[in-house]
Amino acid sequence: MRGDVAAHHFEALGTICSLFGVGVSRAELAQGEFWVRVLGARVTRFSKRSELSLLNCSAGAWLDVSPEMEELLLEALRAYELSAGLVNAAVLPSMLAIGYTRSLAEGVSTATLEDARPAPPLPEVLAVRRGRARLERGCGLDLGGIAKGWMADRLAAQLGTNVLANIGGDLCATGPGPQRDGWPVGFGGVTAMLCDQGAATSSVRRRRWGELHHLIDPRTGLPSTSELEEVSVVAATGCDAEIVAKTALLLGPGLATAYCAATRKPAG
Amino acid sequence: MRSFLLKVGATALTLGATVVSAVYVTAHLKNPSAPLQPTVVASQQQGAVGGLTFTPGVRQGDVQPVTSTYASKV
Repeated sequence: MRGDVAAHHFEALGTICSLFGVGVSRAELAQGEFWVRVLGARVTRFSKRSELSLLNCSAGAWLDVSPEMEELLLEALRAYELSAGLVNAAVLPSMLAIGYTRSLAEGVSTATLEDARPAPPLPEVLAVRRGRARLERGCGLDLGGIAKGWMADRLAAQLGTNVLANIGGDLCATGPGPQRDGWPVGFGGVTAMLCDQGAATSSVRRRRWGELHHLIDPRTGLPSTSELEEVSVVAATGCDAEIVAKTALLLGPGLATAYCAATRKPAG
Repeated sequence: MRSFLLKVGATALTLGATVVSAVYVTAHLKNPSAPLQPTVVASQQQGAVGGLTFTPGVRQGDVQPVTSTYASKV
């Protein structure tokens, strides 16, 4: 019954991506892959020549940025605000301190946890103007999940009106889905039917090595110890789902549910 | 006499402002290591969290999912 659903799977951004569309050709989905690869090359921190790396090395100088990077940086600032600082892109020094200096496929480096510091407030170190951005000397950004959620949202909007874009687990579904009852998405052990919604799971079970994992708590600069291992969220967009899921996980079991309820937009 | 009163008044005003400022600052200490806490509806202290809460805006289905928020993580 899914014969009219085109699907396209590929690896990019160090993860697996899947694109689905009704009324969308395989060629259009392949163009979506190309878009992901081009943008991914700009926002990766693992390439010294990427746009993000140039900003991280700009030593406090104003730098010209592409419209996409400008939007992503503004999204990072919005994530900081929405999470009261818990989703802070300025955790790159901590990422490096825990040994996450290159893609995990290449392996982690030796951790130097004594170098980990609480992340500075993002709005105090990152300024974004039209076509330009400035990052304080000594600071570094890791756009990580924000970039994946943002790309899923943009890609879904670009590809058509009945599309599901999954970028490394951050996904966005537009339209009524193949059977007009939503896009069926595995989520928290069940199937959720998404219609014009995004979803994401934040987890410390993956991207983990020894006692360390990739989810940094900006309050300490160290991997989260919130006692929550995994949080899955459905939200209005993939990026919102990513932000809320990560914030809830960092808040821990005492506040996670209440935070999710507080960020829920009223129906209608 | 008038000059003396002015001096006394100015001194009292200065000392008073100093004391009030000290009291205010002491009562409004900014703790840079205080944890950030975003807005929540209410604090829910729970020993363990498991399962999912499906709000009215999210529908559950019984069909095979085409993808998931898990499987795509490398």
